[in-house]
Amino acid sequence: MEPRERRGRHRDGEEDELTPCSVTTGFFVLGRCGGPAVAACGQCGQPICQAHVEANGLCPECAAAAGYAPQDPHDPRWVGGYRRWFHHRTSQAYNDPTWYSSFDSYDRGSFNPGDDWNSGSGDFGGDDGGGFVDS
Amino acid sequence: MFWRKQRAAIDGFHSLHQALIWQRGFSATMLPDEWGRLVHSLAGHGAVVRRRKWAPPPRATTVVVPLVQVLSADTRGDGTLSVAADLRGPNVQGKLSAQQTFPGQRRGVRKIVEWWSYDPWLSMRAELRDGSELELTIADRVRYRKIHKRSQSGKYKTKMKTKTVQRVSVTRRLPAGTALQRPPSPPPRWITVRVRDGKRPVIRASAKLMAGGQDERALPEQILHMATELFRWSPASAAGATGTARRTS
Repeated sequence: MEPRERRGRHRDGEEDELTPCSVTTGFFVLGRCGGPAVAACGQCGQPICQAHVEANGLCPECAAAAGYAPQDPHDPRWVGGYRRWFHHRTSQAYNDPTWYSSFDSYDRGSFNPGDDWNSGSGDFGGDDGGGFVDS
Repeated sequence: MFWRKQRAAIDGFHSLHQALIWQRGFSATMLPDEWGRLVHSLAGHGAVVRRRKWAPPPRATTVVVPLVQVLSADTRGDGTLSVAADLRGPNVQGKLSAQQTFPGQRRGVRKIVEWWSYDPWLSMRAELRDGSELELTIADRVRYRKIHKRSQSGKYKTKMKTKTVQRVSVTRRLPAGTALQRPPSPPPRWITVRVRDGKRPVIRASAKLMAGGQDERALPEQILHMATELFRWSPASAAGATGTARRTS
């Protein structure tokens, strides 16, 4: 297990030269990693930096979808998976639709029944009636 | 000398990890990356040290590590995270009050000796990347009662009772000029919220939790539920005002 990676940040102008990593970071205050991307996720195609490249060249969210979400809080990648689970829990506790609207699409995916790790569309994908309705 | 290999392994741990083993607590202010190194050190403890006496206090792994991970994720790169953890337990000198003696009211009860303990065992402060500051404190308040009785056969007996209540407080100080917005739904009833609107708004969520029989692994989730309320008061439209932050202001 590696220690927590340093989250790269760019000053204005640098982002024009490098493709920034678009992995979501944070827990309450969400943001993009912004570090220099070295690859594209093999599944969703989003640019990812060296620190966020998971097994098989996937981004952390797609790796979690494949069942590799760490359960140990000591793992530096644990926060991402826990955030998604926790926001699901808080929406039940608070019953606040505006809180839900501030979620990342990755976090919204946890509301889709039977689709534990849908990170793309959340409840906006398709009109199948199986999305988030309890608000 | 016994245990010399494990003792040598402990000498190679992070200094705060060693403080958890030997002093059962620490107080430090560090950058998120340095906290990551401490968590990394704690993760490797069980692989090299098997002596239970030298294990970190259980609260270090069940409460402190998850909260450090979450707050580190929200701390800005050059911001600091401060943690003061005193995991020695409530029954140590300096945390105990003077004893009081009451006469027994019921039949067979000779006297009741009562004393209290106040144990503020965790305090954290983080400088978040949206410009706000988050503070949390957890304190155990324990009531001890020693009841002296005399049985029907004339034997003297004592019974010890303890009752623990946890006081949790989470405070968020927002950047100057932030407009507050009351959330559309109230928080769960067990959370009390106080708001001070002004040049620099302050929101505080506090709760009294019954401790003891409860599994303490649920405590980080309860604390984060309280912290959630603080982030519902700042409008999402102001997100991204500073750097990469997208939610809150």
